[in-house]
Amino acid sequence: MMSLFIMLVLLVNFITISRGLAALSSSDGRGGVYEDLKWKALLCCELPFAQTLDGGLSEHPPVGQCLLLNATKPARNCLDILCWLEGERTNLICNAKSHRAAAAASLLTVRPQLVVQMNVLSEEANHAARCAGEDIAMCSISLHGNDATVSLNISVSLNETTALSPKMQVSTHHLRTPDPPVNLHYNVTTEGEVIFRWSDRQPDIDEINYEIRYSPISLLQQWEVVKIKGRSWVHLNELRPRITYTVQVRCQSHFSYWSEWSQRLDFMLDVSYIPAEVFTTPGSEVTFYSVFHNRSWNASNAMWMLNAQVKIPESQYRVINEHVSAVTVTVDEPGFDYLMCCDGLNCGIAYAKIYTEGMFNADITCQSKNSVVDSMSCKWNKSTWTQVRLLYRQYISCENITEMEGSEEAEENMSSVNECPSGAGDDKECTLKILSMFSCYKIWLEVEGGHGKVRSFPVYVTPIDCVKPSPPSDLIATTLPNKTLSVSWKRPSLPVYKLQYELRFVALRGMANAQWKVIGPLLETQAEIELEEACVQFKVEVRCKRLNGKGYSSDWSTSYTSVVYNRKAPETGPDFWRIIQEDVARSVTNVTLIFKQPVLAGDPHSCVEGLVIEHQASGKAVWSNKTSLVQFHSFQWRKEAHTVTVMSRNALGISTQNRNMTLLHQPKRHCVRSFSAVANASCVHLSWSLLSDHPVPQSFVIEWLDLNKNPEQDVSLTERLQWVRVQPALRDLSLCRRFYGSEEFTLYPVFVDGEGEPVRYTATRGDPAAYILLLIIAFLSVVLFVTLLMSQNQMKKLMWKDVPNPNNCSWAKGMDFRQIDTMERLFPHSEGLTACPLLLVSESICEVEIIEKPHPVTLEHEKGKEVLMCNSGDKTTTDSALLADSSEPLSLEASAAATPETSGQSSVTYSTVLLSDQPSLLRKQQESLSSSSDEGNFSANNSDISGSFPGGLWDMENHVCSDSANPRHSSSYNSVEEFSETSDQDYEASESTGVVKDLYYLEVNEKQEEEDEEEIEEAQGEQGKNEMVMRVDARPLLEGKNSTTVNSSHVSHSIPLYLPQFRTESINPP
Amino acid sequence: MYFPALLSLCILSMLGMVHSIPIHQDNLKNFKLQAETIILRIKDHSKELKLYPNISIGDPDLYPEIPADKPIQGLGSIVDALTTFQKVLQRLPKGKLSQIRIDLSTLLGSLKERMTSMRCTAKEPTNGRSLDILLQNNATHHITFGYFVLDRLKQFTQKMIGNLDQLKSC
Repeated sequence: MMSLFIMLVLLVNFITISRGLAALSSSDGRGGVYEDLKWKALLCCELPFAQTLDGGLSEHPPVGQCLLLNATKPARNCLDILCWLEGERTNLICNAKSHRAAAAASLLTVRPQLVVQMNVLSEEANHAARCAGEDIAMCSISLHGNDATVSLNISVSLNETTALSPKMQVSTHHLRTPDPPVNLHYNVTTEGEVIFRWSDRQPDIDEINYEIRYSPISLLQQWEVVKIKGRSWVHLNELRPRITYTVQVRCQSHFSYWSEWSQRLDFMLDVSYIPAEVFTTPGSEVTFYSVFHNRSWNASNAMWMLNAQVKIPESQYRVINEHVSAVTVTVDEPGFDYLMCCDGLNCGIAYAKIYTEGMFNADITCQSKNSVVDSMSCKWNKSTWTQVRLLYRQYISCENITEMEGSEEAEENMSSVNECPSGAGDDKECTLKILSMFSCYKIWLEVEGGHGKVRSFPVYVTPIDCVKPSPPSDLIATTLPNKTLSVSWKRPSLPVYKLQYELRFVALRGMANAQWKVIGPLLETQAEIELEEACVQFKVEVRCKRLNGKGYSSDWSTSYTSVVYNRKAPETGPDFWRIIQEDVARSVTNVTLIFKQPVLAGDPHSCVEGLVIEHQASGKAVWSNKTSLVQFHSFQWRKEAHTVTVMSRNALGISTQNRNMTLLHQPKRHCVRSFSAVANASCVHLSWSLLSDHPVPQSFVIEWLDLNKNPEQDVSLTERLQWVRVQPALRDLSLCRRFYGSEEFTLYPVFVDGEGEPVRYTATRGDPAAYILLLIIAFLSVVLFVTLLMSQNQMKKLMWKDVPNPNNCSWAKGMDFRQIDTMERLFPHSEGLTACPLLLVSESICEVEIIEKPHPVTLEHEKGKEVLMCNSGDKTTTDSALLADSSEPLSLEASAAATPETSGQSSVTYSTVLLSDQPSLLRKQQESLSSSSDEGNFSANNSDISGSFPGGLWDMENHVCSDSANPRHSSSYNSVEEFSETSDQDYEASESTGVVKDLYYLEVNEKQEEEDEEEIEEAQGEQGKNEMVMRVDARPLLEGKNSTTVNSSHVSHSIPLYLPQFRTESINPP
Repeated sequence: MYFPALLSLCILSMLGMVHSIPIHQDNLKNFKLQAETIILRIKDHSKELKLYPNISIGDPDLYPEIPADKPIQGLGSIVDALTTFQKVLQRLPKGKLSQIRIDLSTLLGSLKERMTSMRCTAKEPTNGRSLDILLQNNATHHITFGYFVLDRLKQFTQKMIGNLDQLKSC
């Protein structure tokens, strides 16, 4: 009764499941269905014996039969079979569970066991599993992460009756979600469109729907999703340039399962190249497109660069559209190159790559090192714009390399090819280590890209032929007394072939200008070099090279300073002197000892290698300094008694006959009576004498500064100071060297206990050539003076021919000129002359010709109206006209002489104002004249004036020096003579002779004219209207005020040079 | 009664003194020497590329992850920036850059040691993700990208030399 119940239960289940499976109908697993990422099946078995046992009715043999859920005959014993994947597709788990198990739990009855046995087999994984259990069996089979089709067999046993299931198959592919797409990438078209593409992981995939999402990386939560059906690419035109985006894609399976999102693709659109790289052949044309995603860049402004070094001619460009540029290039040589498209000089990071098929020349050179670990360093000369691999292959010999090459190519066996240990990179050097020095190495470069490889021409190197040996070692050098430098060294142990050597040496003395002397090739590991002098230390270096055959020279060995061989210690110490310098800032006194060079002279068997400077201060404190062969040595002196002894030393000892110096701060004794020096071009003769009552010094030291050495060129005092020690018996000395003649010599008497009072004398040059030159100049000066004197007298004679007889002059009538020797006698009036200003001018200003036409009537009429004309040219003209009107006998013509053409010449305007009724004025004016015309020429001219312009009226052009309101008539005579350049020369000469004579001119400023007039009025008021007062400014002659402003139109502003002014009354002809 | 308070005050004062102990000038000189060496190597590297005159590669605005314009605010900011540069250089191919990488690593190590001795708190790099993206996107253009990065490193190092006083504070 119970069995019947169970059977009914199973039957009900069967029907239910059957309907459910029929509804799914998506099974491709044999006998099962895929649902919720699981495979399910219902297996029902017919077990006759079991029925007999359970119901006691069965008469069939004990072999049963199992059918899957679609069995026509219902079975009493059914199993639920469930398979699923565990983990990341690592295991498939199948579970078979009898309905009896569930029933047993509820019925709590004792029944015979139902044994379930399951066999699982994966053919792909070649793996099987077997499991058994009572009412329940669970099997797990490892799939190793791969998809597989798993076979399933189940046998059910009950009371020794067994039933077998049909073969069931489970495809694990349907038990999981689809894999996300892979290889998500983007391409840019030549039109500038951006297309994203991806691939499915399995080619026969049945996913057909995709979703792609993208977002700026800074806004990752704001995804934009695009659905794609039936294709694995999409156009995304919404992307903005110069922003970093993240993009992902996923797919949907046949059972509507969505995969996970693919890996992120992060990108930023800036500049894209199409194609990004290309592999081409030499001579082929290649066209590249560049897309400017940056909208501010324009294709019309594109500049294509080859390797960012060379601009490609614009004729090869094409503008595809506003943001796409193209270039067509032809690469002739094999190798690799890069193209960049820039907006002007602004370039992006990206570039396109061209790989040109063939072998390129890389100039590979190698240098090997044969030492503890043999190595070889190879360099090449090729652009660093790529990642280069250095490959090499070892051969036994380079002799038959061609045959071996053929076999190698045939074999294409790269197993013996090695790569530079540092790997690919942009370096240009690689060091190979632990090499066989006698093997042959084939070395070449290789660059991969553009779906191809580019290689360089190989080089074949035998490391032993390019060895750079280590430098020789254990170098020893000795300077021998027989003027020989003996050198020996050790060769490097490797390489073992014979070596040749080069030796170079340089004297340590005077290292600044020292030049290496090279000797070689030498075949032995020792050498002896003849020297010019002994006792000299040398710096010695040696290098080596293969004697016969290829190879490099080694580096020079470590320098070695030769040892000077001595047989005894030096006998005498060096002579030295000192410089004492006060350091006021630090309140110390520095003493620098200057050692007389050379100190090495002497016995070659007792060479001096250095100095010992021994100090002994007051209080008997003694210390010493050991130095090398230096020229100077400094120490601080504390102004106390300090004795310095300098000794020469070598390896065998120090000198015994040494000179010492005592520095004293106390007053020095005075013992030199006289000291003088006379210098010529090459020698200075020094002489001195001593006071008689003083002891004779131990020696004298004469020091001076070398004027050849410029202190502004950082030549220190110690280098400039020259000194010489003189024997005490000598009282004079000739020093022959280059002297300037202005050196200051200082004579120091040196006593045993210190120095005496020094005496200084500045040398004077006794240069005969200079004397001769001086004599010649003096002689020429005398000749010139005499010539001038004679010419002046001659001129006087010529000029005075035209001078009228003074007895004819009215004012001179009755005068005995023979008796007149002074001006006072000539003009014995007590009133002074009113002087027009003595004006100087550097330019010729005016020429005025004045023709006097005596007109007694007019003059009589105008008598008492004096007008002194000192105005400008124009005014002068006007005034002249006035004069002409007012004083008929006078005709005044003023002309501007200061034209640009003549501006370079100086002229002198003489002006004489003659007032007939006031001789006293004339007298005073002449006094003024004579006082100001202190130059001989002008004195002469003064004399000439009256002769040249007899009866002429000298008018001063520029200035009105009198009050026009003055009722007195003024007659003015002007005379102009060209003031020749001699005046300038005279001036220069006066300067050159050192006789300073300030020349002054007298000026009446126009601006002050009115003031002057007022002053004059006042003066007139003071002087009773009979005198004329002029404002006079005195200024140096060459102040140059007028020289630049004078022209014809402004001549009136010019100031005449040296204007001796005459003023006299007009003389009415009798 | 006042003893504990005085003791505490003394300890606090000593701690304050320890914190404000200035970096020895020799150390600063050492940092400067290292930085100048890096600058010199970068210049040599750039010279070797023999670029077209006045050419400008890379827009700094596009790569804010590469710090050169960030203000230097103490030792921490210097270490942060140099760490970024080190990460970038480590991702660039071997070769000429190797020496600069080692120099930078040494300088960074010295600065980190200084940070430790000054008890400065190390900052977490803030641009890790975007830096990775930057490196990934420019992996195929390592020459120009390396040039750009080195130029930025040079600028930053020059700025650091001008702000060596910043090494005295965290």
